[in-house]
Amino acid sequence: MEYLNVLKKNPDMVSPGVSACQGCGGELILRRVMQVAGQNSILCVPPGCMAGSGVVGWNYDTGMKVPIHIPLLDNSASFLTGVTHLYRRLGREDVNLIAFAGDGASADCGFQSLSGAAERGERILYICYDNEGYMNTGYQRSSTTTLGSRTSTTPIGSALSGKQQAQKYVPLIMAMHGVSYCATASPWNMKDLMEKVQKGLEASKEGFAYLHMFSPCPTGWSFGQDQTIQVAKRAVRSNMFPIWEKSCDGYKLNYVNQTPISIREFVAGIGKFKNLSEEQLDRIQRSADERYAAIKALCGI
Amino acid sequence: MYEKVFVTPVGNKGMYVLDTSTWRTHRPVMEKALCINCCICLSYCPVNAIRFSEEEGCFITYDYCKGCGICAAECPKKAISMIKEVK
Repeated sequence: MEYLNVLKKNPDMVSPGVSACQGCGGELILRRVMQVAGQNSILCVPPGCMAGSGVVGWNYDTGMKVPIHIPLLDNSASFLTGVTHLYRRLGREDVNLIAFAGDGASADCGFQSLSGAAERGERILYICYDNEGYMNTGYQRSSTTTLGSRTSTTPIGSALSGKQQAQKYVPLIMAMHGVSYCATASPWNMKDLMEKVQKGLEASKEGFAYLHMFSPCPTGWSFGQDQTIQVAKRAVRSNMFPIWEKSCDGYKLNYVNQTPISIREFVAGIGKFKNLSEEQLDRIQRSADERYAAIKALCGI
Repeated sequence: MYEKVFVTPVGNKGMYVLDTSTWRTHRPVMEKALCINCCICLSYCPVNAIRFSEEEGCFITYDYCKGCGICAAECPKKAISMIKEVK
């Protein structure tokens, strides 16, 4: 698969006008995923930004050119388990079954169904677009929100200064389930992202495939709507979001960061980090360094 | 009672399409003389408003462009500029 040919030739499977915000990382990822997956797919989008923007339909209209379902917030993986068993019984193993869920529907509410489906090895491609919070309802904190972030449930004030807890690193938890394919991807590196979707679709014919994608949110994080890709780039360059994959060949680091930038450079210009204290910056820096060192050790570098 | 048998009635009427071009405050304009057809704008456009044809190379369509400005910010040749929409 040559990714430029996919970009140029493959038709857009999503409705051309959906009400995602200007500069939305989730909408960008959804369109690229569906360009790779093509027509022979069934999509399941739990409540969240992408469902709220009209991709699942509105008033008897559909927002997709392929079959799409909206389950509850917490059961997208178990819902697709049923669908995949039906399609295997019908002898239609060629159909791509894709879940496209936010981090709330994957890491918080939907984690038990996701963990269960991963452990059973259901033949699903589960994609989590991680915008670090419940953006659809006005940015409440989630377990993947970075420490010190200003959210509507962890405001900045005299009693509280942003989120007090560290971020939960979900992709490594999912890789430890022994899934057939697990990877992280950033929209900054579109070639890598689209190749991983292709690999994930192939792996989902044999077992569970999980993709964790970084999705900057201009509205919730308070940065300029044209800075989405730059924020995604800085997250990778500062080791906040290392890009790696785990397949049957073991762990592989896809972007070896020779000259990492500091967390201070990553948070510059992002409104939700405006009131970070020195101590919080140190804690984020330490957890990013620890995470990158752990990934490097797993990859044998 | 019903002619059609369906699980859910979603999609029975047609496709949900929002006119997102009305959101735009600035429109991206591509200067084709500077463009090298690297397709970076094509890969980063969240709305797929930028298309590619063999004759023209990359070009911008304005039917659904929300005017986010990612293409102008990411273009390595600075061939795209954001120009204010005026009536």
